[in-house]
Amino acid sequence: MLKTFQTAYLLKNTYRVNGIIYSIKQIPLLRRVLPDSLYRIRGFKILGNILSVGWEVVSTFLGKFLYLLLLVCGLGELFDKAPQWQVFLHIFFVLTIIGAYMNTYLFNPTRDKYYAISLMRMNARTYMLSYYIYAMLRVVVGFLPFTLLFGRMSGVPLWICLLLPLLVAGGKLVCVWIYLFRYEKTGRNPDENKLNKWDWILAAVLLAAAYGLPYLGIVIPWQAIVALMVLAIAGGVCSVKKVARFTFYRELCQMMLAEKKSGLDPRVTSQKLVQDASRKKISTDTSITSKKKGFDYFNELFIKRHRRILWNSARRVTIGALVVVAVGVGACLLNAQVARATNESLMRLLPVFLFFMYALNRGTTFTQALFINCDHSMLTYGFYKKPDTILKLFWIRLREITKINLAPAVVIGLGLSILLYVSGGTEAPVNYVVLPVSILAMSVLFSVHYLTLYYLLQPYTAETELKSGTYKILSWVTYLFCYALMQVRMSSLVFGAAMIAFSLLYCAVAGVLVYKYAGRTFRLRN
Amino acid sequence: MEFIIENLSKKFGTKEVLKQIDFTFESGNIYGLLGRNGAGKTTLFNCVNRDLKADSGSFFIGENGTRRPTVPEDIGYVLSTPTVPEFLTAREFLKFFVEINEKSIRELRPLDEYFEMMNIVPEDRDRLLKDYSHGMKNKMQMLINIIASPNILLLDEPLTSLDVVVAEEMKQLLRRQKDGRVIIFSTHIMELALDLCDKIVILNHGELEVVDKENLDNGEFKDKIIQALREEEHA
Repeated sequence: MLKTFQTAYLLKNTYRVNGIIYSIKQIPLLRRVLPDSLYRIRGFKILGNILSVGWEVVSTFLGKFLYLLLLVCGLGELFDKAPQWQVFLHIFFVLTIIGAYMNTYLFNPTRDKYYAISLMRMNARTYMLSYYIYAMLRVVVGFLPFTLLFGRMSGVPLWICLLLPLLVAGGKLVCVWIYLFRYEKTGRNPDENKLNKWDWILAAVLLAAAYGLPYLGIVIPWQAIVALMVLAIAGGVCSVKKVARFTFYRELCQMMLAEKKSGLDPRVTSQKLVQDASRKKISTDTSITSKKKGFDYFNELFIKRHRRILWNSARRVTIGALVVVAVGVGACLLNAQVARATNESLMRLLPVFLFFMYALNRGTTFTQALFINCDHSMLTYGFYKKPDTILKLFWIRLREITKINLAPAVVIGLGLSILLYVSGGTEAPVNYVVLPVSILAMSVLFSVHYLTLYYLLQPYTAETELKSGTYKILSWVTYLFCYALMQVRMSSLVFGAAMIAFSLLYCAVAGVLVYKYAGRTFRLRN
Repeated sequence: MEFIIENLSKKFGTKEVLKQIDFTFESGNIYGLLGRNGAGKTTLFNCVNRDLKADSGSFFIGENGTRRPTVPEDIGYVLSTPTVPEFLTAREFLKFFVEINEKSIRELRPLDEYFEMMNIVPEDRDRLLKDYSHGMKNKMQMLINIIASPNILLLDEPLTSLDVVVAEEMKQLLRRQKDGRVIIFSTHIMELALDLCDKIVILNHGELEVVDKENLDNGEFKDKIIQALREEEHA
């Protein structure tokens, strides 16, 4: 048993260390300096080992510390209708029940188990048992300091604090026993991540009981908790025998780990998720057709079949904006003070709207859908990569994305003018024009911005992973730019005029850049 | 017609995957490109297709003693994992393709004829491509590349995951398509290469080299190829 544990631990440690070295190698500047032979170098292995052991220690304690600090003590403080120490016990006890069946450790199909049992063909029973003993020890050792610390702080008697970690372990053991029993009877996969409807309902009820009852001033009497605790610990001791004597660990593990066989690489799995999700967004409505020809035909089908992701949120924003404007107009008409405040804000707060328009823009959703569901495959065809094809589609797409973002922009822009009017008007009527036009300009600006970035940098790889560092940096710069301008306080008239000019200039420059470079830059990345 | 590669080099880090390759492919031939795992076959294709920027090198089409650089339309690339626009039906994809390439397609035919050529049955023609199987997507990708009739057709392990019937259909199709163009077919399956290809080229240690069949029978030829791949390794 000890040998198995040692082997398993070394195995886990090895890939953890390699994982650490791999992450070190992903840091942009270091990547160039560090050789591939890094994994062989002793010093690095030692460094990795230190980090790995450190992580083991931290992960034993940190989670439990935070759990008790935030979920038990922190939320417990909110309820003052019952004695603090009883609230502590109540919440801890009920949450422990949820944890007992949702987080057994044994039935979590982790990578460790897959590597050791499925790939390395270690003895499933000894592996699972040694793994489990270690997990239970970690539970007890990890909880003890904090049940003592937080328990004593809340005024829980010392002897109960000492028993609490055993309650956690006992509860988990009892649940493991139930899972094993059920497996023997029904053959149901004990994977604890595959909970059914009832498990979730139970969890919700328990969660409500954990916090709802103390809120009402009700807690489970501490004597009952102690009795149940003793029962759970006794049950835990009994189930040790069952767990130790269970003989079907191999077949149970095969079943539990079967899905790990494909897609263990988290990157591949997450990419597949993204791709599947994107594919699902394609409308299967057979009545969708197009009467257009060529590129317009191609584009129209794309837009129509992606209506759900492209138009729905624009529609929601439009409706939301309509409601806000209507409420604003109503408030201004009813209350002179609100009207005055609104009027003042409108004359000064246009920069804030730049940030709104940034946040509301659907540019990235559009380019992502374009890539994953369309360009990703089309860019492998020579005819699609001809510079004039690329440009033609760019203009068509620019038109589309601008259209999508236009409806919310028109509502917001006109809404501002109307609000300005009903809130008392302005001395310079030109404001009525500058406000809506600058909002429109912002909307167009962001549409152009995202599409241009997409065409000039084409940040995705053939596996639909976002890989361009430049793209990420520019996205940040965009955010910072909008955020910084939000802090600016200047007259809306000046800002609006400047924004219109800037947008025009930006679009012109973007157009030129796309015209000159997109033919070369719009490519699949490898 | 000839397809000429001149001085093509590509490095990843310090690893030289393609080393100043100079090679001329002649039209009317199917070239079987063989190489060990990781030898750089896909890299070579990606460079030719300009999906990957080579460190150096140029590609030309040579005809009647004159030559010009290749343009995207010269090259068709069929990948092992087929890529088709999933939001279109097969017919819509074909219609779009035909419409924007009207001028360059030789002997344009009704769409259904193309589907028949690929044995894509009528009930599948109006289904979204996202619901197509791997093999069906592959057929569509091949079909588009065949209609485009590029001067150079690159095929990266295209038949490996197809069922035997479809694979056989594809082979027939490729044989019919080889006149007037260069087909380069990369594969790990020696039997397939010997069965389908007119010439065998190996890529090893970053260099391209023809393995001459002379008058060997298939068994001897196979040994010679394996020998060549091995020797290169020790070179």
